[in-house]
Amino acid sequence: MKAMLRSVVIGALALALAACATVTSAPQGTFAVGQGYQVNLGREWSDISNIMTGRPKNVRLLSIDGPLLNRLYLTDGLAPGQFLVKPAKRERPTPTYRANMAATELVEFVADSVAALDYQRVETSNLRPTKFVGADGVRFDISAQTAEGLDMAGTASVAEAGGKLYVILYLAPKEHYFAATLPEVEQVMASARRG
Amino acid sequence: MTLRRILTAAAAAALLASTAQPALAQAQPKLREAQIRPAVSSVEGGLWDMSDQMENHVKASAEVNKDPQLNAFVKTVLCKVATEYCGEMRLYVLDRPELNASAAPNGYVDVNSGLLLRAATEDELAFVLAHEVTHFARSHTLERYRQTKQTATAGMILGMGLGIATGGGSLVSDLVYLGAIASLMSYNREQEGEADTLGYGRATKAGYAKGAGAAMWSDVIAETRSSDFPKTRNSEARASIFRTHPITAERVAALQAMGGGDTARDVAAEKKYRAVIRPHLAAWLKDDLRRRDYGQSLYVIDRLSKLGEDMGVLEFYRGEAYRQRRSEGDGAKALEAYKRAVASADVPVAAWRELGEAARKAGDKAAARQAFQTYLDRAPQAQDRWIVESSLKTVQES
Repeated sequence: MKAMLRSVVIGALALALAACATVTSAPQGTFAVGQGYQVNLGREWSDISNIMTGRPKNVRLLSIDGPLLNRLYLTDGLAPGQFLVKPAKRERPTPTYRANMAATELVEFVADSVAALDYQRVETSNLRPTKFVGADGVRFDISAQTAEGLDMAGTASVAEAGGKLYVILYLAPKEHYFAATLPEVEQVMASARRG
Repeated sequence: MTLRRILTAAAAAALLASTAQPALAQAQPKLREAQIRPAVSSVEGGLWDMSDQMENHVKASAEVNKDPQLNAFVKTVLCKVATEYCGEMRLYVLDRPELNASAAPNGYVDVNSGLLLRAATEDELAFVLAHEVTHFARSHTLERYRQTKQTATAGMILGMGLGIATGGGSLVSDLVYLGAIASLMSYNREQEGEADTLGYGRATKAGYAKGAGAAMWSDVIAETRSSDFPKTRNSEARASIFRTHPITAERVAALQAMGGGDTARDVAAEKKYRAVIRPHLAAWLKDDLRRRDYGQSLYVIDRLSKLGEDMGVLEFYRGEAYRQRRSEGDGAKALEAYKRAVASADVPVAAWRELGEAARKAGDKAAARQAFQTYLDRAPQAQDRWIVESSLKTVQES
């Protein structure tokens, strides 16, 4: 419960910070996720990375309508030992990317990371092979619910390249928002490239 | 609600939770009357509003377990120990891995799957529920409020609650509400002792085993000592998500002194209880692993394994705990657990896939091939079939 209270306070601070214009534009065109990794945006997004707590430095977050309505996670290559979601404290660890994970463990890593974001009933489905950042990867869909009972949908691509893990994860309410932005997300996933 | 108000309320709730108050001054065990509904404008009415808000929050949660048989079972146990209050208690079984149960002033009762997974018998569950019913019957949340009424904190929390109640609930106000009620459920030493004592009386009067309470609390202490994390191992055990007075050896001794010293296993009772939770065992173990305190999960699995039933499921999740933890030697332990799992008829089919991966990592290609092939044979519709086919190909080619 203390953690919940902390979340409220941090969330409120995050909203206050948002008002201080720390959300920046991610214009249509090439978007550099980090060192040597980029995607192509088919429209303007908002870069909300700076207002999202629990975000490791090498994870960027984009949104169109706000973080509760659509959010796109892009990792700049996670090294073994790194996270998609930063742990709040040592005794409450979040999933950690490790070397030599099986493909099913990479899917589990993403699903458990979504659960660590306080989504409930997180399930994966429709696992399928994909080419992602030039490597053989896994594409899959996600279903979950918020603590308030809102149905969420998601899709993710994950692949290892150069000893690092690349993830694109898209989450949005199942009603309207997920489908509305999915074509754009598909295009972003297809455009992901290293170098 | 302004940010300042949110911050102030959150800080106040945290302060109240940590406030050390004097003892209850030999309070007599006067119990609340059944079927009361306090005036909205009263202090108690304010606490009910806060409890209503908490209940509304839980109602919307996807984690409410709707299995009618499980709910009927837990409600029956609750009513056996709640007796005169049974009719006003609304039970919510929640698929949440943390050990917790609570009874709010308005009759809202929640029971986490983390408790149902850890109780070895109906008797142990009954003791914990009787403990919570005692907090309800003795109006301990109201008592907590009154203990702090000299401070501005209490008035502000209640005022905040009443204010939000009339203003409708947003997500933020709901959470502040939850924080406020949680602070009042952070019971002190005297209240926890009283809940143990009177709860023991309620449970044994209903015919439950005398040793159940001491056995349950002893296991909670032992599980805490099994944590992967030194800070947790060195902290005191709690059977609550709230900052209640911890479960100590003294509390166990007190229960034993009341006559609850016989903690000998009742295997028949364990078998009967296991049959009730069996349909949910795998899902609850999977949820427990998402806490990522594998030492504690392994302790729970060890305890569940003593009965010698459900070994396919239990050994599979033992393997999963070792696979996910990845400490030194865990790979070999995972492999052995998966091997034991597939030897049981109740093994989840995923155990064959994980046995294949564990064998592949251990360099045993023949075992990996056999396990992968068995998975493919037994799970023809699996969504990850193409991944396992690819894994099988690598051990065949190399």
